[in-house]
Amino acid sequence: MSILEYNGASIVAMKGKNCVAIAADKRLGIRFQTVSCDFQKIFPMGKKLFIGLPGLATDVQTFANELKFHTNLYNLSESREISPKVFLSMVSNFLYQRRFGPYFIEPVIAGLDPKTDEPFIASTDLIGCPMVTDDFVVAGTCLEQLYGMCETLYKPDMQPDELFECISQSLLNAQDRDAYSGWGGVVYVIEPNKITKRELKARMD
Amino acid sequence: MAVLVDEGYQTHPTVQHRFFPYAQNGGTVVAVAGEDFSVVGCDTRLSEGYSILSRDVSKVRKMTKSGLLGCVGFHGDVLTLTKMLDAKMKQYKHTHGKDMSCEAMAQMLSSTLYYRRFFPYWVYNMVAGIDNNGKGCVFSYDPVGSYERETYRACGSASAIIQPLLDNQLGYKNQSNANPAPLTRDRVRTMVRDIFAAASERDIYTGDEVEISVIDANGIDTQRFPLRSD
Amino acid sequence: MSERYSFSLTTFSPSGKLVQIEYAIAAVAAGAPSIGIKSKTGVVLAAEKKTKSILYDDTTITKMEMITKHCGMTYSGMGPDFRLLVRNARKIAQQYFMKYNEEIPVSQLVQRVANVMQEYTHSGGVRPFGVSLLVAGFDQETPYLVQCDPSGAYFAWKATAMGKNHVNGKTFLEKRYNADLELEDAVHTAILTLKEGFEGQMTEDNIEIGICTGDGFRKLNRTEIKDYLAALN
Repeated sequence: MSILEYNGASIVAMKGKNCVAIAADKRLGIRFQTVSCDFQKIFPMGKKLFIGLPGLATDVQTFANELKFHTNLYNLSESREISPKVFLSMVSNFLYQRRFGPYFIEPVIAGLDPKTDEPFIASTDLIGCPMVTDDFVVAGTCLEQLYGMCETLYKPDMQPDELFECISQSLLNAQDRDAYSGWGGVVYVIEPNKITKRELKARMD
Repeated sequence: MAVLVDEGYQTHPTVQHRFFPYAQNGGTVVAVAGEDFSVVGCDTRLSEGYSILSRDVSKVRKMTKSGLLGCVGFHGDVLTLTKMLDAKMKQYKHTHGKDMSCEAMAQMLSSTLYYRRFFPYWVYNMVAGIDNNGKGCVFSYDPVGSYERETYRACGSASAIIQPLLDNQLGYKNQSNANPAPLTRDRVRTMVRDIFAAASERDIYTGDEVEISVIDANGIDTQRFPLRSD
Repeated sequence: MSERYSFSLTTFSPSGKLVQIEYAIAAVAAGAPSIGIKSKTGVVLAAEKKTKSILYDDTTITKMEMITKHCGMTYSGMGPDFRLLVRNARKIAQQYFMKYNEEIPVSQLVQRVANVMQEYTHSGGVRPFGVSLLVAGFDQETPYLVQCDPSGAYFAWKATAMGKNHVNGKTFLEKRYNADLELEDAVHTAILTLKEGFEGQMTEDNIEIGICTGDGFRKLNRTEIKDYLAALN
C-alpha cells in the first residue's frame, strides 16, 4: 500500500475562459478509518494562486508551510507577486531537492498570472517533475476516476459558472467511487478580480 | 515465471521461482440496461504489458438470440471459459429444447466461476440481454462468481475511468435538479461511444475500435466505431 | 596584548568612519573612467581601456562583461576585483534561473551582487572590493542603469560617470542629458563624456562601448565604434 494513499485525497484543477478552478475533497483518514471531514488540502499562495496538495497529510502541511514561507520571502524581496509559472519551478525545485527522501505529495497548481491574468494550471509528481496542461490536471487517490470525468465533461473556454459546475460534478462523482476520498468538497474559482470559494456537500460514506 | 526480488541492500537480487499462470490482456466492457433493450460496448484491443497483441479481437460473445456475454482479463481464460459456457449452453438446449434465459445464464456463469474458486478464471464478465419479462438486464461479476443485476456497469481495465461517469450520466448521481428521461437506444449507443473515446484517451489497454451491440426483442444490432489506436 | 586580537581590516575609526571603504572608493576614483547613460529604448555603457604601453595586446583586454542576455556591466577601479564580481554575478543569475525558470530581474541581480560587496566590508580576513560597478540591464520593457559601490551601496542613475574625472564627467552629463534621448544620441553623448579629459587620441582600440536594449546586451565591435568616432569628427 502506497504512502501516498495513507490519508486519501483527490484534487482537480481546470482552465476556463480567463479563469481557473481548483477543487479538493475534505476527507482525512488513516487507511479506511475516517478521522476528519474538514481537512484543508488547498492553500492560497498568492492573490490569484492556489496549490492543492494530495498525499501524506503531515507532508501536505509541512510542505504548504515551507512554500508559504518562500513565497512570502519572494514577495518581500522582489516586491511583486509570484507568477504561477515561477511558482511551479519553485515547487518543482523543492521537491527535487528531496529526490531520495521525498515528500509524499503530488501538487496541483492553479492560478492567474498577476500581470496578464493568463490562466495557468500544472501538476508535478512527488519528486517534482512538472507537467503543464491547457485543459485540466488531476491528482490523488481517485485520479483514474477524475480522468474519466474530466475527459468527458471538460470543454474549452467555459465561463466561471459553467467551470464551477463542471469541476464540481467531476470531483463529486469521482470521489464517490473512491473509498479514500470524499466527505464533502471545496471549490475555488479564480477570476481576474474575484475569487469564489464554495463548499460542496457529498455523500458521507 | 521468475520474479526478481530486489531487496535494495543486496548486490545480487534473490530470484524466486513460482508458478504464475495468468496474464493481464486488458480490455473494457460497458453494459447498460434500458426499459426493453440493453446495450453492450467493448473495445477490440488485446494487449500485454506495453505491447498490442491484436487490434481486432471481439470480446463480446453471442450466447443466445437475446443474450450477450462480455469478458475481459486474461484472454486465455476468456477463451476457455467461453468454450465451457458454449458447451453448457448447447447441453441445456438439448435437454430443455429452448435457449437459456438471461437469468439462468447469469446463475450458470456464477456457478461456473465459483467452481474454480481456488484457481479462478482471471476474467471479468458481464452478461447483458433481455430478461424473461422482456426487460433489459445487465449482470456483472467478479472473477470468482459474485454477481449482481444492475442497470449499468463498466468492468475491465478502464472501469475506474468509466464507472463514475455512468453514475453521473445514467444514475443521475450528484444532480439535484435532474429529471431522468427514459433511455433511448440511440442515446445509450452515442453515450457508450463517447465514453469509450474518453477511456481510450487515458487507458493504454483500451482502444482501436469499440463494438457496440444493442439487444432488443428484434434481435442484436452490432456496430463498430473507431477509437484511438496509439 | 593587542596582537591576540585579530580585527578585521574594516574596523570603525574613532570618528565613526570605515577608512578602508573610503580608501576603496579612492581607488575607484583613481581608476579608469566609465560612463553610463539611459535612453528611452536602452542603456549605454562606455569605458576607457588605455594601456600603459603600446606593447600590450589590447584586443585581449576587456572591461565590459555580459552577465545575462539582458544585463551587462563595466567598472572603474581594480580589474581583478571586477573579474571576481563578474563570476559571482553570473553565478547568482544562473542560480536564480535554475530556481525560478525565469531571467533574474536587474534589481535582484544588483541587490545580490551588492550583498556580496557589503559582506566584504565586515568579514574577517578580507578587504573591500576596489571597484564600483556600473550595471546596465533591460527587463519587463524597462531599462536599468545602476551603480554599485565597494561599501555595498547601490543607486540607479539616468546617467553617470565613475573613475578618474568623474566630477567633470557628471557635470558634462548634467548639461547634455535629457529624458527623450535616443539610443544613438546616448552613445554619442557617452563618447563625448569620455572624451572630456581623455589624454591622447581616442580610438576604437582604447575605448569600449556596450548597449543594452530589449534585444539584450551586446558590446559594439571595433568597426561600429570606429563609425561612431568618425561621426563625431
